[in-house]
Amino acid sequence: MLVRFWGTRGSLAVAQTAKTVRDKVAHALVTAGGRSFADDAAAKAFIDAELDFATSGTYGGATTCVEIDPAGEESAFIVCDMGSGLREFGIDAFRRMAEGHPRVFHFFLSHLHWDHIMGFPFFGPAFDPASRIIIHSGHPDAEQALRRQQEEISFPVPFDWLRAKIEFSTLEPGIPYAIEDLTVELMQQHHSHVSYGYRFTDSDGKVAVFSTDSEHKIERMDGEADVAFFFRDADLVVCDTMYSLADSVSMKEDWGHSSNIVAIDLCHEAAAKRLALFHHEPTYSDEDLQRMHRESIRYEELTREDNPLEVLCAYDGLEVRL
Amino acid sequence: MCTFLGGGMQADEDKESTMQWQDEQRGGAIVALPVGRVDEFTAQGFSAYLDASVDKAAGTPSKALIVDMAGLDYMSSRGLRSLTLAKRKADGAGVTITLAAPNGVMREILAISRYDKIFAVSDSIDDAL
Repeated sequence: MLVRFWGTRGSLAVAQTAKTVRDKVAHALVTAGGRSFADDAAAKAFIDAELDFATSGTYGGATTCVEIDPAGEESAFIVCDMGSGLREFGIDAFRRMAEGHPRVFHFFLSHLHWDHIMGFPFFGPAFDPASRIIIHSGHPDAEQALRRQQEEISFPVPFDWLRAKIEFSTLEPGIPYAIEDLTVELMQQHHSHVSYGYRFTDSDGKVAVFSTDSEHKIERMDGEADVAFFFRDADLVVCDTMYSLADSVSMKEDWGHSSNIVAIDLCHEAAAKRLALFHHEPTYSDEDLQRMHRESIRYEELTREDNPLEVLCAYDGLEVRL
Repeated sequence: MCTFLGGGMQADEDKESTMQWQDEQRGGAIVALPVGRVDEFTAQGFSAYLDASVDKAAGTPSKALIVDMAGLDYMSSRGLRSLTLAKRKADGAGVTITLAAPNGVMREILAISRYDKIFAVSDSIDDAL
């Protein structure tokens, strides 16, 4: 199983400004200390060896979209959420379909808030008459949400103009669904209009969990055993870590999101192998996210009891093979 | 001294951890002295002791609860969030909570969680009194 991150930002898409890029270039040049590089390969070797990620790259700015690729040649596309990262995924999907990939898409929606569906009007394969799109959700009003965002007052192309064969499927928690070569389960989460987490198990037993926009309420800590059970032994848990723990229990309580600290504790309890910090706060700079990543790794070390949990910080373009 | 033996989701022997609690009146305040670990197995007991200590602090002249962190090996998010629940109760009763003398690990956890921004942290009990 391969997990590709096409969009990792929460709430609102962000773009790097010219000043931010200029600052990164300046920092890279200072770090290089006057060295010269014979070619791009030598320059990239320097970048990889000596620059931190906040200087050499960016965590990215597209809103949530994560592909679960079972890597079977005949498998359909499996995609969690339709944030603005879906546009890039659609472009890449056309490339892969030209190489013979089946023109079938299974989407799994965490919920229907705008940042999680805003990419669909820009999803090229939705205009392809040869494509089939099945949209799975725990929400029975998923179709209404997708149609509404393409009504005239908001968008010039109505939903009915899309040429792909589009179907909607409402799923229920507690039922394991066999979809393509995957077993898919969902869990209801605490969020405005509720959200759903998904657990994907492939034929080799590899498990990826997608759990975004989920607040773990301070008054219901005893219920977290159910969340840990849903995460149990996962090879990768993609988890909402938008705020610090202090923010999530104070000024941002009831905003529907979680923290890096709670995510690590839940993954420890679940004996998960990897955690991807996800749904990044849009006001955070690359330096802020890098700091949060380093602090998360340290917290994991401080609180580890058994096997280590690898803590990744998701960025647009990250691929994780399980 | 009270001892809380935590069981939890996986109640096997290896997963059990302990947290002990004692509190006393000192200098017009209640000083609580938890010892051990606060994790998913012991957080419930930690929270109950905190709750009772807030009640005791509400009856003191200074209405202050000082939690001596020196005996805590570490605290997970369950313990940190228990502190928040206690602070809410304390705020309602006019009681202030100060976290005193955290060890190096606890200092890091308070900083990473940003709890050092929402709780008063002092280097020693004397500083907090």
